[in-house]
Amino acid sequence: MEQSSTSALLQGTVLDLASDVVSALRSGDHVRAGGTLAGVSAGGGVARAAVRVLGADLLLPATLLGCEPVPDQLTVFQDAVAAHPPRDDAAPTVVWSHWAMIRALRRLGRPPTGPLADDAGAEPDARWLDDAGWQYLTHQLAVLAPLALPGEECAVMRAARRRPVDVARGFVRAVRRRDWQQAAGAGRWLTLLDGVPATLGLEAGLDFVRLMGGSDPRVALQLEAARLMPAGVPL
Amino acid sequence: MSARRVEEAALDWVCAHRDRFALGEDALAADGQVNRTWKPLGELAQVCASVSVGTPPSDPLHARVTELLDFAWQQTHKGEMFLLMQSLEPFATYPLEVYAAFASAGYRHHGYEASAAVVARTRGWRLTEQYPTRRLGVMEAERRSGLRPHGKVPQALVRTWLGGLPEPWTFERAAGYALTHVVFHLTEWGRTPQGVPPDLADYLRHWLPPWLDTCFEARMWDLSCELLAVAASLPSPPEPAVLEDAWQRVAAAQHACGAIPEEGSAQHAAPPGQDDPYAFTDCYHSTLMAVFAAALTTARQSEVERAGQGVPG
Repeated sequence: MEQSSTSALLQGTVLDLASDVVSALRSGDHVRAGGTLAGVSAGGGVARAAVRVLGADLLLPATLLGCEPVPDQLTVFQDAVAAHPPRDDAAPTVVWSHWAMIRALRRLGRPPTGPLADDAGAEPDARWLDDAGWQYLTHQLAVLAPLALPGEECAVMRAARRRPVDVARGFVRAVRRRDWQQAAGAGRWLTLLDGVPATLGLEAGLDFVRLMGGSDPRVALQLEAARLMPAGVPL
Repeated sequence: MSARRVEEAALDWVCAHRDRFALGEDALAADGQVNRTWKPLGELAQVCASVSVGTPPSDPLHARVTELLDFAWQQTHKGEMFLLMQSLEPFATYPLEVYAAFASAGYRHHGYEASAAVVARTRGWRLTEQYPTRRLGVMEAERRSGLRPHGKVPQALVRTWLGGLPEPWTFERAAGYALTHVVFHLTEWGRTPQGVPPDLADYLRHWLPPWLDTCFEARMWDLSCELLAVAASLPSPPEPAVLEDAWQRVAAAQHACGAIPEEGSAQHAAPPGQDDPYAFTDCYHSTLMAVFAAALTTARQSEVERAGQGVPG
């Protein structure tokens, strides 16, 4: 029982954080972006875990719109990065998500300090995507949607750039399967890729995903990010 | 590739159930159920006509489908039944559509063709209200039966779902069945891949993989097999990995008797130990479509291999 209630709390916190980010992306209001984490102590385990789930996207208003992150939010984010470095056997998405969080901090001029500082900038490799089928590729990219940023240069971005048709196929598959989160994440990547077949109808597709799945703030977050991409400031 | 094995087993089932395709007493009845009489027979004829054209006479499968075609033609009393149908329903298009399958394989009845030409000259025939995909099919049936098509393909094509190049994520079952038939009509049922215009070929090459994947996942075996037939009818077939994966999934859905259910879980529909677990109406079409798609796939594969051998090393 305790485990399931913790899990429900974590899930709820993730949704609240995603809602904060969506509000901030829509309004440019940085105060609202910090709403859920205002007053949370840095040691709050659930808050930290929720920040890890959302990853670098928590700082997306700062990254894309230049909003100043609120201190409480930044503190929990930094603490989440410092407290949970990926294990040696961590999945590539975990390693990359961690890397993206550190990258987001660096962009804000707040690089990690302490034991992580030395090796924090080393970019992981993306070889696990080399032979990935288009379904798996799209799934992994959707999980790593925080890396889909204008001007981002990293191995995952290069892997996505090499396969625009495959990611577009993944978008179609996700919509057909009513997997709105994956569709929104794939759609965010597609806004950044050249060579996407025009017949995909991405703009209408993103509107459709919003219509069908936009009530989930995690979906809405990806759609807001996608909306801001073309106008986003290259990093 | 599994396609050939799927084809042989599916054809075993068709041959074993040949008599179920026979026309019954109600074939000409006023209240006859066309979907249970002429439709299965016409589909048998169409698939066998296509397979016989695409399979070399030296292949044992060629003789089997030719026998099935002879059987189907006998059911129509060598075409005489088409004249009777016309006298009962002169402006119905389905008799001509069924006849065209036979005509494409060289089974012709000149008296019927002459009668059909009289009807097809009327404004009423040309203005028959029907779905755009069906219109394309009737025009194709006219051409194959030696009549002058009542319209032009590009104008008919542009009114179909596929011809308008819709957003691929709007694909659903009805759109799927419409688009497969558009390609069948454009390519003379897989015979002429060059009949697919380049923009449609690009479109299909891009989007067949996610459609196939999601139809298989939804256990829509019938539509999946039709999509595989489309894949084998394109000027450039999809990547080999896509086809390999797809045929393995068809093979997994095929019962030991060779039948493939139209939809749903093979295990639920076919408890182990039953030799012939499906009702005819629940599996005949998907099993025929598997024969059709597999024959096209293996024929295209042979073409590619021959072309490869022709390239100086």
